[in-house]
Amino acid sequence: MNPKRLLSITRAGIMEALHFRLGIFVTLFANLIYLVLVYYLWKAIYASSGSDVVNGMSFTDTMIYLILATALFNFLEMFVVWDMSRSIQSGKIVLDLLKPMRFRKYTFWSYTGNHVVQFVLTFIPTFIVVMIVTKGAIPMGLNLLWFIIATVMALLINYNIEMMVAPICLFTESTWGINIVKETIVLLLSGASIPLAFFPEKARLIVSYLPFRAVYDIPLSILLGKSGSDTWSGLINLFALQCAWLIVLTIAGNLFWNHAVKKITVNGG
Amino acid sequence: MSNEAVVMKNVCKDFKVLNRHEGLKGSIRDLFSRDYKTVSAVKDVTLTVDKGEIIGYLGPNGAGKSTTIKMMTGVLEPTSGEILVNGRTPYKNRTENCEHIGVVFGQRSQLWWSLPLIESFKLLRDLYMVEQKDYEEMIELYRSLVDIEPILHKPVRQMSLGQRTLSDILAAFLHNPDIVFLDEPTIGLDVSMKSKIRELILGLNKEKNTTVILTTHDMGDVDALCKRIVIIDEGTKIYDNDIEHLKNYFGSYRTLKLKHADDSWEEMLIDEKTTDVMDVILEKQKQQKIKDVKILEISTEEVIRKIYEGGAK
Amino acid sequence: MEKRGLRFYADIYRKILVQDLKSKMSYRADFVISTFGMIMTNLSGFVTFMILFHNFPTINGWDYYHMLFLYGFSLVALTPVQCFFDNNWNLRFMVQSGDFIKYCFRPVNVFFYFMSEVFDVKGLGQLAFGIGTIVFAWIKIGIPVTALVILKLILFLVTASLFMIAIMNFAAATCFWIKGSGYVMVIMFRFKDFAKYPSSIFQGVFKVIFTFIIPIAFIAYYPSLVILTPDDVPVLSWIAPLFGLVFFYLSYKFWMLGVRKYDFTGS
Repeated sequence: MNPKRLLSITRAGIMEALHFRLGIFVTLFANLIYLVLVYYLWKAIYASSGSDVVNGMSFTDTMIYLILATALFNFLEMFVVWDMSRSIQSGKIVLDLLKPMRFRKYTFWSYTGNHVVQFVLTFIPTFIVVMIVTKGAIPMGLNLLWFIIATVMALLINYNIEMMVAPICLFTESTWGINIVKETIVLLLSGASIPLAFFPEKARLIVSYLPFRAVYDIPLSILLGKSGSDTWSGLINLFALQCAWLIVLTIAGNLFWNHAVKKITVNGG
Repeated sequence: MSNEAVVMKNVCKDFKVLNRHEGLKGSIRDLFSRDYKTVSAVKDVTLTVDKGEIIGYLGPNGAGKSTTIKMMTGVLEPTSGEILVNGRTPYKNRTENCEHIGVVFGQRSQLWWSLPLIESFKLLRDLYMVEQKDYEEMIELYRSLVDIEPILHKPVRQMSLGQRTLSDILAAFLHNPDIVFLDEPTIGLDVSMKSKIRELILGLNKEKNTTVILTTHDMGDVDALCKRIVIIDEGTKIYDNDIEHLKNYFGSYRTLKLKHADDSWEEMLIDEKTTDVMDVILEKQKQQKIKDVKILEISTEEVIRKIYEGGAK
Repeated sequence: MEKRGLRFYADIYRKILVQDLKSKMSYRADFVISTFGMIMTNLSGFVTFMILFHNFPTINGWDYYHMLFLYGFSLVALTPVQCFFDNNWNLRFMVQSGDFIKYCFRPVNVFFYFMSEVFDVKGLGQLAFGIGTIVFAWIKIGIPVTALVILKLILFLVTASLFMIAIMNFAAATCFWIKGSGYVMVIMFRFKDFAKYPSSIFQGVFKVIFTFIIPIAFIAYYPSLVILTPDDVPVLSWIAPLFGLVFFYLSYKFWMLGVRKYDFTGS
């Protein structure tokens, strides 16, 4: 694959995302309000508990974790499933499949443009605000580099999960249903709605081996120096888990997708 | 009762659009830009349509056809000027106006996607408060004009494009409206479906004396349906008269077709007032061998093309 | 518009609904999966709730059962928006593609016609879940059951749902002015997750914002106080029904204004 071509697809994706200018400002504003909600809720929760640290998480830790999880969620959010079901309904899928590029690759790189915009416009501002407000509660060092690597891995894993789910929607003609199941599972088990540290012991053990954790919990834990990521062995463990899931999901996704394409081309005639 | 279905007086419609800049840098600049420009989609159009007429409303892409139709249906408010449809101002009395008009917008079905056609008809009957007797009469009329049995119990989403368009046209006439707006009704259809739909429109127009305002790019539609055409270009009305008149106007034009030695046809449009057709043939013959010659009267399609390209005033 | 009164609209809605349900039966797989998805979201919400209480026994002075009541209340209050106004989610796609124009050619109210197109059955699962939760919490707290209390409960559930509908109307209608405003809906829909917490947690200017501007405090907190603390009901709870109607009306007007102002250039 010619890198110049990939770059131009990404560039087109960035331009498309910027096209909706008011939408971007509104998004930023809405995000801010959301963060305020999270802040008040957890402040009240910690105030009621009487102790400053619960399950190894202080109020500041929880806040940073949840806020960055939200920012990461916005950054990672993809509408592959929706786009695909719409393009199947309109018959556009045939055109997409005809593009001189593998569909999976094309989708991925055109989303990358959107990811770049979202990262710059939502994640980085949020990160800076959190850094200033918490006055240096986020450790600054090599962990930032590990965090970025872990985030890219998370993005790839997330994309593969999407690509696994999309064909199921097509078969069952139930875009909403499948999507909500996926979203619910990912959000709950990845620690995006409530930090995994608060889960009961046994549940946490099971969840820690599932792929969903690799999307939100691992990058954030690495950033905050939690889950043993402050030691080399702990860090390697977390990366190994991400790698393993990435490989498994990529292979499975590929097989699944190729099978699905055959079905689509047969049905979509 | 007046005899006019639609009266438009000096109607203008402006849109405000953002000036977009090129490239990635331009995109980032556009984020903060306040650089708007006003685009006039329709400029000072005056138009009268009589009851029972079928008029062709023509113009190149982006000429302002759809905008005009949207104003006549009450969806858009004109920036200035006056519109009366059946004596009502459509924008001010949208719901009331809708009761007396029917609209088909090209490839966009307005029917309930998953319902069988007959159920959509029944819902429309209730929406428009059509008397059961009139409804049944209309269905009977449909039966006499086209074969509706194969589509009547089919959900719209399972229909072919042709069947869907047919259904939409039938649905637009169901409440016996005074005016029906058809925006490119035959777009993307095969030849036999096109003629079926043209016959249907003609039949309904004749039976119910419905005024039909038709926009299209297909001159076959115009030839088959319209006596009068209105042409709009860049928002301005540039022609408004009978087709026959149009042809007379360009009557001195001939299409000359020459068959070359390699069996290929060369086509040219010649104005006999300025050039003699025989001269052209002779001239061509000097250059190469000509196997066959055809001289045709100008077709509507060519007339229209001529006008779009700025041939008429 | 006396000609087309309330009865006309009710009649049309019923007829469309019947047809819609009939045709939905043909997509059984979708129905089953969507229902499953709905149960999953409710379960997940419940699990989150349980995990929270596993770690923190009270929140701002509210104990487990009172919180559970709020939770159930918010679920029931969210049902109408889910069932009757779900087409709001499709609005921006329709507007962008230009398909929205078809709703403007009928001699009926555009808002009504647009909303009537989709009835979402899945919301009923949530309703059952919510009612179950309310009943359970009700018994555990030991609120007396009288006709008056039940009547109050229903009135204030309706009130609460008006707020949620209004919020989603506002959020959806932004797409008439702002391209790419889909995220507004997504985040507003996520705001509702905070409705199930006592809004006494907010302070200062944000208390005002979440009460009067993005009124999530009215989706469960203020209306449910009428039932939970009958001796000490704040004034805001009592005026909630009126305020809800006003808010709903404003959102409707805003939506319709969007239809009027929109260019319909997408074609």
